[in-house]
Amino acid sequence: MRSWDSMEDFEAFLDGGGLVEPDDDMPDAYRQAVFRFIELHANSEYMGGLTERDWIAKAPGLTNKLTALAKTQDEIGHAHLLYMVAADMGVKTRDEMTADLLAGRTTFHNVFHYRAYSWGDQIAIAYLVDAAALASQQAVFKNCSYGPYKRILRRIIAEEGFHMRNGEELLLKMAKGTQQQHDMMQEGLDRWWWPAVQLFGPDSPPNDVLLRWHIKSERNEVLRDRFVQKMVPQLQAAGFTIPDPDLHQDPDTGRWVSGEIDWEALKAAIAGRGPDSERRLRDARNAWDGASWVRDALDEAAAVPA
Amino acid sequence: MKTYEVFLKRAGKDPFTHVGALEAPDDDLALSFARDCYARRSEGEQMWVVAREDLLVADPTELEMADRAHRHNDGTFLRDLRQAGSAEPT
Repeated sequence: MRSWDSMEDFEAFLDGGGLVEPDDDMPDAYRQAVFRFIELHANSEYMGGLTERDWIAKAPGLTNKLTALAKTQDEIGHAHLLYMVAADMGVKTRDEMTADLLAGRTTFHNVFHYRAYSWGDQIAIAYLVDAAALASQQAVFKNCSYGPYKRILRRIIAEEGFHMRNGEELLLKMAKGTQQQHDMMQEGLDRWWWPAVQLFGPDSPPNDVLLRWHIKSERNEVLRDRFVQKMVPQLQAAGFTIPDPDLHQDPDTGRWVSGEIDWEALKAAIAGRGPDSERRLRDARNAWDGASWVRDALDEAAAVPA
Repeated sequence: MKTYEVFLKRAGKDPFTHVGALEAPDDDLALSFARDCYARRSEGEQMWVVAREDLLVADPTELEMADRAHRHNDGTFLRDLRQAGSAEPT
């Protein structure tokens, strides 16, 4: 078992590009911080998978239903992988993490505290939210000091890339569609622009341990700004507007500058007081309880001698 | 529930690579879950699934000790010899 004499030694190891493995005697503060980060990611993939599942039946046409099915498998699959990596850190078992999520004791990303009403919402999620999530995950992957998380992120990022491309494809189809489709898409963008921007979080604190310990590689505000610079021209070129009346281009730098961001909305959502938090959690609990017969059957099958 | 480790061999001369872990109640379901979790897009042409309790795991500090200088000829002697040779008048 590898161990470090002091936090200075451990941080020097991380600064030198060292990868921490589950058997290492890592400082407890690092273990807790990395665990909480992965648990939040796992919870978010799980809740995202349940949202996606709702659209298997509702998506228009067979191709879109098949894509929704594949995306549901991907998101639930990501949750599986991440819960395994988190459980191996020895802080909580997988069952404890599930119980905490369903009881509202742990958190998941703000974007899964809002309701998707229409197919336009669903495309806006695929286009904006998946792109925002992918940008955050790529920034973690780049410099991630926890070995199992870095290795599993490679796979997750590849699959989120499919989702983002699918979102862009659907958005452009809507842009070229009827007036009704265009309006439906614009309504979706109006509902999801701000939650997606807020997903990056407020500016990183000056001494963020997640940055110091090489979990995050970029400050929140840098990733958020990069997202705005990329998305605004794309959406405008497709003929859509951004629901931010104060959005403007800096005359000197040409960069897009957002209006004021409502961080209270982010805090409320994450605390479980978002517009759809209650229904989402109830839905997750029902899904978990409704599948208990499957888990019981698996356990009973395993108990029968071969 | 048992924990299993999953290894995939991409293609041809590629080695088997560890891709992650999963929980399953028995071996048959472990294979099924491994396909669902790790090989939905033909990520490999062969897959090994091993119960974690059956893996023998070496202590990494013992592996570090196996890295001895005398096992690596780093070419210093030959480099010095050649440099000395080229400095001499021909």
